Amino acid sequence: MSENIYIPKLAKIIEIKEEVTGSRPIKTFRTQFIDKNDFSHRPGQCAMLSVLGKGESMISISSSPLEKDYLQFSILKMGKVTTALHEMQEGDIIGIRGPYGNSFPIEKWKGKNIIFIGGGIGLAPIWSVLQTVREKKDDYGKLTVIYGSRTSKDLVFKKELKELRNEMEVFLSVDCEEEGWDEFVGFVPQNVTDKKPSPENSVSITCGPPIMIKFVIEALQDLGFKDEQIYTTVENKMKCGIGKCGRCNIGKHYVCKDGPVYSWAKLKTLPQEY
Amino acid sequence: MVDIEKLRKEAKKILKEGKVKYIIGYTKSSQNFSASPVFITKPEDTSRLIWNPTCVQNLVKFIVDDKQKQCKEKEPDERPIGIMVKGCDSRAINVLIQEKFIDREDVYLLGVSCEELGVLDEKKIAKKLKGGKIEKVDFDKKKNIIISTKDGEVKIPIKEVLAERCLECRANFPVIYDTLYGEKVEREVKEPFKSLNQIESQSFKKRWNFWAEQLDRCIRCYACRSICPMCYCDECVADSINYAVTPETTAEEKAQKIQWIERSPDLSENIGYHLIRAIHLAGRCIDCGECERACPVDIPLRLLNKKLEKAAHELFDYDVGFDHEKPSLISSFKDEDPEDFIR
Amino acid sequence: MEKILTKKEFPTWIKNLESYHVFGPVKKETIWEYEKIKDPEKLDLNFPNTALSPKKIFFPQREVILDFNKNNKGEPEINESLPEKKPVVIFGVRSCDAKALTLTDHVFKEDPDDKYYLRRRNQTTIVGLTCNEPPSKNCFCTSLDGSPHSKEGMDILMTELEDKYYIEAITDKGKELIEKAKDVSKNPSEKDKDELKKVHKASEKKIKRQIKGLSKITDKLKNMFDSSLWDEESMSCLKCGICTYLCPTCHCFDISDEVTSSSPLKGQRVRTWDTCQFPYFTMHSSGHNPRPDKASRLRQRILHKFYYFVDNYGDYQCTGCGRCISKCPVDIDIIEVLEKVKDYE
Repeated sequence: MSENIYIPKLAKIIEIKEEVTGSRPIKTFRTQFIDKNDFSHRPGQCAMLSVLGKGESMISISSSPLEKDYLQFSILKMGKVTTALHEMQEGDIIGIRGPYGNSFPIEKWKGKNIIFIGGGIGLAPIWSVLQTVREKKDDYGKLTVIYGSRTSKDLVFKKELKELRNEMEVFLSVDCEEEGWDEFVGFVPQNVTDKKPSPENSVSITCGPPIMIKFVIEALQDLGFKDEQIYTTVENKMKCGIGKCGRCNIGKHYVCKDGPVYSWAKLKTLPQEY
Repeated sequence: MVDIEKLRKEAKKILKEGKVKYIIGYTKSSQNFSASPVFITKPEDTSRLIWNPTCVQNLVKFIVDDKQKQCKEKEPDERPIGIMVKGCDSRAINVLIQEKFIDREDVYLLGVSCEELGVLDEKKIAKKLKGGKIEKVDFDKKKNIIISTKDGEVKIPIKEVLAERCLECRANFPVIYDTLYGEKVEREVKEPFKSLNQIESQSFKKRWNFWAEQLDRCIRCYACRSICPMCYCDECVADSINYAVTPETTAEEKAQKIQWIERSPDLSENIGYHLIRAIHLAGRCIDCGECERACPVDIPLRLLNKKLEKAAHELFDYDVGFDHEKPSLISSFKDEDPEDFIR
Repeated sequence: MEKILTKKEFPTWIKNLESYHVFGPVKKETIWEYEKIKDPEKLDLNFPNTALSPKKIFFPQREVILDFNKNNKGEPEINESLPEKKPVVIFGVRSCDAKALTLTDHVFKEDPDDKYYLRRRNQTTIVGLTCNEPPSKNCFCTSLDGSPHSKEGMDILMTELEDKYYIEAITDKGKELIEKAKDVSKNPSEKDKDELKKVHKASEKKIKRQIKGLSKITDKLKNMFDSSLWDEESMSCLKCGICTYLCPTCHCFDISDEVTSSSPLKGQRVRTWDTCQFPYFTMHSSGHNPRPDKASRLRQRILHKFYYFVDNYGDYQCTGCGRCISKCPVDIDIIEVLEKVKDYE
């Protein structure tokens, strides 16, 4: 008797961290299922978070699947459901169903250098794969992070990024000059061009605002990266999360089922309507 | 008689002179009974324009559509649009000008008069044919419609199969136009709101049961709203599925947006939707009948809107869409207004 | 198993089906709809096609997915709300609508399967009806591997022969249902069998509208994403959604929470029909809309039905019922659009 895929499982919010405050706040939520179950995900997958009475929202799981104690989501306050999530307290209960979508093919990347390029909230989907790969560092080549945001206040995972510096190169950037900022000033694609990651035996993952992704892909191509070496995630409005409601399709693919992870080689063959 | 050749010539002229960016008119439908809307951009295509009692659609909705589209363009094309309008349609134009949705110069009106007739009602014809299927439709000079079915030809006087609204129409020729085709035939309408008599005479309980049964069929496809030229709000209060958001809309604004009517087609939600829409059309609906024609489950929507048109007429001596210089019903008051409308 | 049942005895068969919910076409004012039959004498199979296909019995306009509430400790509780378990029979299903069910099956039965649709589907017996005459002049089922007497998607096919029905069982469910008529039905004679063949053959010839070369059209569509054809064809579209709401194969839906009491919290999560033709169907919360204009939405509808669905499931997502053509208020004709695609350079 198969499960009813529309019914969320209840989970308690065990920790809320304010990453970014202001007009576009971001909070990181850590949740634990109330009833033990065999939920397991792969890096890059997403889950539908339910606020009963408000609705659902598809959010990428930013914790690694190796983390068994909790599921982590970093959420930007954008509309009805995310506002309701931001108003919640630790101990409140939400619904989670999933995991949905495909994942980053990290098995194929063994032995390769991986460059993680993120902008704003876009670091959250990448975080999951970054944490997974970091645990098995010896299986992979050189790991590099290139991440930026509008201002230093809009950077997420600030504390974690600081710790990461002990293990790998982390290049941060902000869009405009700022007092006390001594790293790169400019947009993330410009930082990529500046740091010149080598395409030799490398693969890159990029995630962020659509306009940033477009220019990052161009910057990587200029550096010699082939389309198969560039990976990104796509987002679209979703309701069912399982490829039945017909809302999130790009061509014949449903982003909730056949995506959200795509190599640029694959994504450029799909109709550009996302 | 409407001289269609004269209309085609005028249409060709204004297109050639660049007076309009395109012309919206009627052309012969390849498959269906009623005429099809057509958008003419090339002067030589104006020969496709036709006029006969199957030209049922209200084309003014396309003017509204175009205006809404141009508002979102970086470089809007604000040239006027040429449009064929019947009497009822011209009233819609007047309402749009009155509400300042369009300017008079935005449209070039090719007015066509229905003279003594009007437009046909497909359902009435279907009844007369008793299930036979229409293969071809022709009109003779004696105001009859000649329908060919596979069982032969049937000749019916047009007057017997006119749309209900045409029987009580007080605007059988355009009330605003740039050029007029056909005669301004004065028609006496003894009882302008006759279609309401039957339902108005019923008890409250019977009326409620009638509407509960009719609106139970509603599938909330919103076709009635999509086809109505007066329903041009970007964000409809009776609809929880559209939000006029921009990248600047804050999360709080989106979160606080109230859902007045749920998406579910429950009877309570359906009644809420239809009554709210009818009240928002009070003093604005010109009875083009498109909502009822479009409805896929045949709900008699005209009755709702007609009732409010009657109320506007009787309580405030207001007739919709005859004079765009007059202030609109809801945005004005007179000292003589009866106080008993506020209970 | 094949039987003959006279029209006079037809209500007796219905009366023997008390353990089922019996649905059939019912006249409501000027249109026909599938509804529960209260009086077996009133079931009239002499009808043109219904306004809404029987898809609404399996995939209703409104389906409650779950009930939610907060208990007195303030903790949320969820209860799934599955459809009632009772066998259902639907009479008078046309071939196009029955075939359409096999297409929606692809979507809802695909893993992970949709329990709501599946329960309704598994407990329903579909009794089809041959279209001796095409119900609409816009029928084109024969262009899509279908026919007025196709048995696809049905458990039983009934064909009207003068004053009786020829009943053919297709599945075991169908045989079970015909058993309930065994007292009033008899075996068909050779004459009946000949008559059946004649009626079936004649029905195919009566379908006037055709599209030829659909596979060529699918191939053409693969390269037409950026074509200007969509702008031209969608000019008169009013985004009313009727084409997709009446379509027996369309399956798009919305999920929303409806709160009946806010304190203590109580409500339902419901699934309602939605359509890709509405302007805000694909709009993101941020305000970005991948399909902001009519051309992109018409393109989505045609490409989905004749290219994406074919690639994903191997079938065209259309059965030629003609409802979208007959009911479009501005005469946008899917056959004409496809012909233009075929001739497009």
